[in-house]
Amino acid sequence: MNGFFTAKDAKEKQKFRVSLANLCVLCGKSLLIFWFSQIAFAADVLHLYNWNNYISAQTVARFEAECHCTVVQDYYSDNEEMLAKLAAGASGYDILVPTGNAVDALIRQGALRPIDKRQLPNFKNLNPAYLNTAFDPGNRYSVPYAYTLTLIGYNVEKMRALGVPTDTWAAIFEPKYLAKMKGRVTVLDSQRELMAAAMKYLGYSANDTDEAKWRQARDLIIRAKPYWAAFNASSYIKELTVGNIWLAHGYSSDMFQAAQDAKRAGRPFTIGYSAPKEGAILALDSMVLHKSGPRPDLAHRFINFMLDGKNSAELTNLIGSGNPNLAAMPYIRPEIAGNAAIFPGREQLARLEMLKDIDRNHRRVLSRMWTEIKLH
Amino acid sequence: MRKRWLWTASALVYAFLYLPLVIVVAYSFNDSRLNAEWVGFTLHWYRVLLDDEQMLRAAVNSLLIACTASGVATVLGTMAGIALHRYKMKFLLFLVLTPVAMPEILLGVSLLLFFIQVLNLTLGLFSVMIAHITFCIGFVAIVVRVRLAGMDESIFEAARDLGATPWQTFRLVTLPLIMPGVIAGALMAFTLSIDDFVITFFTAGVGVATLPLQIYSMIKIAVTPEVNAVSTLLMLVTLGLIVAASRIAPEVLKGKA
Amino acid sequence: MSKRDRLLKWLTGGPPFLFLLVFFVAPSLIVIVASFRFPGEYGGLAPLIVDGKANLTLETYRFFFSDFIYARVFIKSFGMALATTLICLGLAYPVALLIARGNKKFRDLLVLLVVLPFASNFLIRTYAWMIILGPQSAFSRAINGVLGWCGFAPVTLLFSSFAVLVGMVYVHLPFMLLPLYANLEKHDPALLDAAQDLGASAWQRFWRVTWPLSLPGVYSGAALVFIPVLGMFAIPEILGGTGDILIGNLIKDQFLGTRDWPFGSTLSILLTLVVLACAGLAAWFSRQGVRHA
Repeated sequence: MNGFFTAKDAKEKQKFRVSLANLCVLCGKSLLIFWFSQIAFAADVLHLYNWNNYISAQTVARFEAECHCTVVQDYYSDNEEMLAKLAAGASGYDILVPTGNAVDALIRQGALRPIDKRQLPNFKNLNPAYLNTAFDPGNRYSVPYAYTLTLIGYNVEKMRALGVPTDTWAAIFEPKYLAKMKGRVTVLDSQRELMAAAMKYLGYSANDTDEAKWRQARDLIIRAKPYWAAFNASSYIKELTVGNIWLAHGYSSDMFQAAQDAKRAGRPFTIGYSAPKEGAILALDSMVLHKSGPRPDLAHRFINFMLDGKNSAELTNLIGSGNPNLAAMPYIRPEIAGNAAIFPGREQLARLEMLKDIDRNHRRVLSRMWTEIKLH
Repeated sequence: MRKRWLWTASALVYAFLYLPLVIVVAYSFNDSRLNAEWVGFTLHWYRVLLDDEQMLRAAVNSLLIACTASGVATVLGTMAGIALHRYKMKFLLFLVLTPVAMPEILLGVSLLLFFIQVLNLTLGLFSVMIAHITFCIGFVAIVVRVRLAGMDESIFEAARDLGATPWQTFRLVTLPLIMPGVIAGALMAFTLSIDDFVITFFTAGVGVATLPLQIYSMIKIAVTPEVNAVSTLLMLVTLGLIVAASRIAPEVLKGKA
Repeated sequence: MSKRDRLLKWLTGGPPFLFLLVFFVAPSLIVIVASFRFPGEYGGLAPLIVDGKANLTLETYRFFFSDFIYARVFIKSFGMALATTLICLGLAYPVALLIARGNKKFRDLLVLLVVLPFASNFLIRTYAWMIILGPQSAFSRAINGVLGWCGFAPVTLLFSSFAVLVGMVYVHLPFMLLPLYANLEKHDPALLDAAQDLGASAWQRFWRVTWPLSLPGVYSGAALVFIPVLGMFAIPEILGGTGDILIGNLIKDQFLGTRDWPFGSTLSILLTLVVLACAGLAAWFSRQGVRHA
């Protein structure tokens, strides 16, 4: 029996050892290649942590050619996601592009590197209306990049046929209008944005943290909720374009895209979008330097590059985002530049508000209200 | 007569199981940016997929993590399986089975807190690997234990009587006999790791995209047929692995209880 | 046990034991401690030691119990898990019976056919249902056509609790089927023949013989479906409507949305306790079942 085991087993052992050795060599080789490629890449690399679809590929390519470096991008779809990942220890990012309230949180945490304006000759191109914000007076840490408005987008023909006004938040909050569009309205799946819209409709500031006012806003939302189809953060573009949804609460750049898609697909309707008269939320995204970034020099070059009018205009022409850069205006397509929902005029600007970060106790209260809204 | 009722019920369930997958595969060839209606046949989305650098990076990450995690988990899990069968360590049994039985979100959350608060480790490839090993050990251990349980103990006694040292017994007797179980466990760990979503979601740092995470971000943002294309390819790959596992150790599939 | 055997025991069992101790037990303890800490000002957790004293609080638990709403989420998740388990049982049992009783040649093939969908990532399977239940799909239009013919208003199938339930059942069906099949395959056909000879009808044969013997398989399958469903968040997020928030969504939201880690930890611990209680109940039931069978 001993002989039987060793004989059969010797052949199998040999086969096993050979295949194991091959596997080890293969793993070793691939691991080596992996590590070396990482080191090689560290040479002249700019790490950019940006929103999805928030920079044109041509712009990136042109920058890479000009600076003889590589741009490695990572994406997030929500400010909270980015903040959570940074809190979880993510590092090595040269540039982030957070929205105002996230810049607020990052500055107060001391997570950002001050900007050296001497390396940014193009800084003067910026529109003063978007500088010296409440969260970064003097722009010591942030450089405005692009902005969007949170507003309502709609199927123009359907709204006209049903007689629903499109210049007010009442279109998504008042049952008398909602009853005509039951199941055809979506709102953003964002605590802050939806509460802000409700507060604005009630006539309060979106940054008011009075719990009594929050409760009023919550009740307003709960009253309107039965008529809404869904809380939706992104697929409302498609739903509007295809015609399933007639009215959506969303971002101006998304509405721009929906309008373009509808025209290209030859739909029998057009998508319109406008900022409500009670006021809307302005989301100003700025480029900031994270203190763990290894290449602040490349980062400054990138920021200066993006502050050039022509480069800055490319994003606007691509996705219809607002542009705080005055030098970019000549390069922007006239139908975009003239659109008040994308480039609000001065009096419209006065009615817009930027969201501020809220402290942890209020965050908890808001989170509970959001659960109540969802469960109701 | 009962047989006919069983047949129709089963046919309906199989149809329920397969219809969605057929649709996903079919729409991957759809010549339309939206996944709403059939327009025409095209291989465009597969070409887009192959050009998608982010997706390829995610695929490489997934493979790297899966290989390493399943390798380490197989070694540790085999050891655990043998120890459980031979020495009946109750506490080890509890430690090995609980990660398998708990909802994944709990494992993900606890590892996230542990990595950040205690180890002060930056999340990244390494953290995901450790997380995957943790929940894969249990599966391998169970498979190996099942395989050992079905074996005749007298073989090991015979080897010992003939003067073999424990290491010789392991090398020459145990290992070859449980090898199908070990390989099946390794393949199962590999499949679980490559498919894992929830735990990776919480423990992946920035820059570490795996295929499931990539698919999740695509589903939430841009629902183009590229998602269908990547799904079809992923299905074929995982299918191949499961078929391989079922060929090597058929009783693994049935002994899941 | 001899000294050599003890050494071997720790040599083989030691490394996995240590690994799991560090990467499973320790993290679990961290979560328990975290549920008693304050949230950090900008996210994460506040420092544990402040001025030499432990910075702990019962506030999160008080917050959880101060409002019935969180218990409601638990009950809702519990209900969804129960519904999913029962539907999976109803769908899986006939198929398992068929495969187990069927021709030996086809058994492996049929089992493989069941496992095949398992080969795709569960997100893909969820996404498939987005296509099928979407308002433009043939299925939706057919259903609405029938409803319209009967005089009812059209319904949206997607973004609803129904869609979430379908998604959950679909993803977990193989988990119910395999243990059931494993159990049913071991049944001795002679028992059924004996019952028939004694004059039992088809229904009696099933209810008095097959069902009690299959109970261990039923419990295994139920556990494999019930527990994962309790922790799911991706399916409600993708397929759910305005009201579909389950405990998994809440937990995920605390960590990656509200930045309230202590509260997320509290929810996780309470969920673990619920799961342990259910597992304990299931074990107790199966022991009762064995006694009666």
